[in-house]
Amino acid sequence: MAIPHPREIQVAVVEWLDERYPFTKAVDEALYQRVPNFANAFYYCFGGMVFILVVLQLLTGILLSLYYVPDAGGNPAAAYSSVNFIQNSVYLGWLIRGVHFWGANLLIIMVLLHMARVYWTGSYRAPRELNWMVGVTMLLLILAFSLTGYLLPWDTKAYFATQVTIKIAGGVPPQQLGAFIRDILQGGSVVGPPTLQRFFTIHVFLLPAVIVLLMYVHFRFIRAHGISEPL
Amino acid sequence: MAESTPRKFTRRTFLGWQIAVLLTSTVIVGLAPIVVFLLPAPPKGQKKGPLSVSLPKSINELADGDVIKFDAPTTPNSAFLMADGGGDNAPGDLAFGGFVVKSEGKLNVLAINCSHLGCSVALNQDARTFDCPCHGSRFHLDGNVLHGPAAYPLSHLTWAKGKDANTIDVDGIVLGF
Repeated sequence: MAIPHPREIQVAVVEWLDERYPFTKAVDEALYQRVPNFANAFYYCFGGMVFILVVLQLLTGILLSLYYVPDAGGNPAAAYSSVNFIQNSVYLGWLIRGVHFWGANLLIIMVLLHMARVYWTGSYRAPRELNWMVGVTMLLLILAFSLTGYLLPWDTKAYFATQVTIKIAGGVPPQQLGAFIRDILQGGSVVGPPTLQRFFTIHVFLLPAVIVLLMYVHFRFIRAHGISEPL
Repeated sequence: MAESTPRKFTRRTFLGWQIAVLLTSTVIVGLAPIVVFLLPAPPKGQKKGPLSVSLPKSINELADGDVIKFDAPTTPNSAFLMADGGGDNAPGDLAFGGFVVKSEGKLNVLAINCSHLGCSVALNQDARTFDCPCHGSRFHLDGNVLHGPAAYPLSHLTWAKGKDANTIDVDGIVLGF
């Protein structure tokens, strides 16, 4: 009996799919783009690394949410206990949480490197200003991710770090506006269970949705403009 | 491709399979830790052993036909383990409550779960039977079936006298969650 080449199986599957929707055409358009020689330098990869890290964050974040409990009530609070459980009891929990933690740190470094490259090669100039703005928005979103994620373990460090950041946000003049921002973030008169609930919702529902949308916009812009010529 | 003569195992076929195996193993290496992560973690502090249950009345003072209902301790969260059972109940199944019953001179400790589908039976004060609220099964105080749909008697719990006459030690498990 002839041994089927994997290619034959692959062709059969792709043909079945292509009869139903022109996937090959769509994938070809997305993948087979000429990369100019000047874009082969390593520093043109920073954006792609950011993308891979974001995907990794989404994946490990979903996994962590299977065990994390966003409840700051009680002592020790369920939020703290669940992080402790992930770290010490769940199989490979330390690994998944570690990837999420270090991924978050690396992400900020890579975003800054990517931004520096875009600035260095002048890629922010016309007609690409909108993409620069989208990028800066995403930088702020990632910082918001970091801020809200930092509170979630609900340990002493998280609690007092958040108290400080909320105090800073609450220092916006005039005094009434600052107090309003503080109350909205805090959800009460002190940093407490409502704060954790708000930060959790922002971290897990709001920000991922917005950043995925903006990443799509970012990539469509790149495709529309092409990679910018070097100076 | 379909009408061509059957392929020989060429160098190209080998390389094709090699790439397929390489990609597959890469995917497996990436997914394996995730699958491991999804496995239920062992509950911390889970431990089998006798659970001490305090009763409102001394077991020595029970008259014939007396019934005392008791619940499994909740601090820490625990359950009793059935000693026997038929139908929905089986030896080793969890019960979260039980009855100490004196019936025809014999002291029995029964699990609370109906042998039909596991609902908690309740003492019928007037008829002196255990009645199931779900489908109407009825049991004699010694645990035997008086009326279906249950087909098997109530399960027993393994027990021993405790440190005083108001306490019994019932076989159970600290659940660890």
